[in-house]
Amino acid sequence: MLIQFVNPLNSSALAFPILECIHIVGFALSIGTIAIVDFRLLDIGMRRQTPAQLAKDTAAWTLVGLGIMLLSGMALYSSDPDMYYLNYAFLGKMLFLILAIIFNYMIHRKVVASGASPGKTKLVAWISILLWTGVVFGGIFIGFLNPTLDLKKV
Amino acid sequence: MLLSFAQFIQSTAFFTALRGSGYVYPVILSLHMVIIALFGGMILMTDMRLLGLAMRSYPVSDVVNQFRTPKRIGFVLMITLGILMACCKAEEYYYNDWFRLKMALLVVVGLHALIFRRRVYSRAADLDHLSPLPAGAKLAAVISLVLWISIACAGRGIGYIEPPLDKIHAGLLYLH
Repeated sequence: MLIQFVNPLNSSALAFPILECIHIVGFALSIGTIAIVDFRLLDIGMRRQTPAQLAKDTAAWTLVGLGIMLLSGMALYSSDPDMYYLNYAFLGKMLFLILAIIFNYMIHRKVVASGASPGKTKLVAWISILLWTGVVFGGIFIGFLNPTLDLKKV
Repeated sequence: MLLSFAQFIQSTAFFTALRGSGYVYPVILSLHMVIIALFGGMILMTDMRLLGLAMRSYPVSDVVNQFRTPKRIGFVLMITLGILMACCKAEEYYYNDWFRLKMALLVVVGLHALIFRRRVYSRAADLDHLSPLPAGAKLAAVISLVLWISIACAGRGIGYIEPPLDKIHAGLLYLH
């Protein structure tokens, strides 16, 4: 049985670009607040505060940013799920995103709160920055690796 | 004159090579977005501190002064990557209304700095003892938030317009 459903996002030419803008603000807020802690671990920026203090005081905004980013991201995905499913950049982005979120809440947070040795915290900061960089790269390359234009499959 | 400069700059060997290699442009664009992700939060947090919405347990001067240098580093990286992209497709960008809007907004950011740096950001320590913060500081923060979010959105808009350069060159359209 075929269910007729038209995604309202696809009825308006403006819906997608507006969601993209919301997505950008969402990741600036979420990744940006995580990066503030990472830079602090690398002795850049808020050096009068401890990394643990910074992590505690930005946590709520990180969560708000993640919510904005994930909700707008799912709405964007819903506009053309088949295309995203076949897009290697999108799949890579999802892998990085899952790793980045798990790393942030399972490891990053705990290491920062425990005040581990500088060598360890610097490594954690770099891993965090690289994982989020991977997410952003994946997002941009979705538009450049359109599966319908894949010449290998033509 | 601006148009002929745009045509000249994108025709240089360096930018012709950048434009021709399929992956360089998206890599530069990705790095441009990575800078938003890594440094954009500092702008948001500074403005939200002035509005009393974030980092309230820290003195205003701690937030404003300690983010100043990293924000400047981020700005320089951002502009460098932006110039690289703009020069790759300079003529196309010349006709792109979102690009024009983005440049105009960046000029307004300069005006914002001229107006508010001396009054707010350079004397952040004076704000530490004031509660609530003066309206001028909050106004500076609101304008800054609106400007930077608009710049990000205008940047996204650039990709949605592809000025028909072939028609413009054939003299069928007069956009400038």
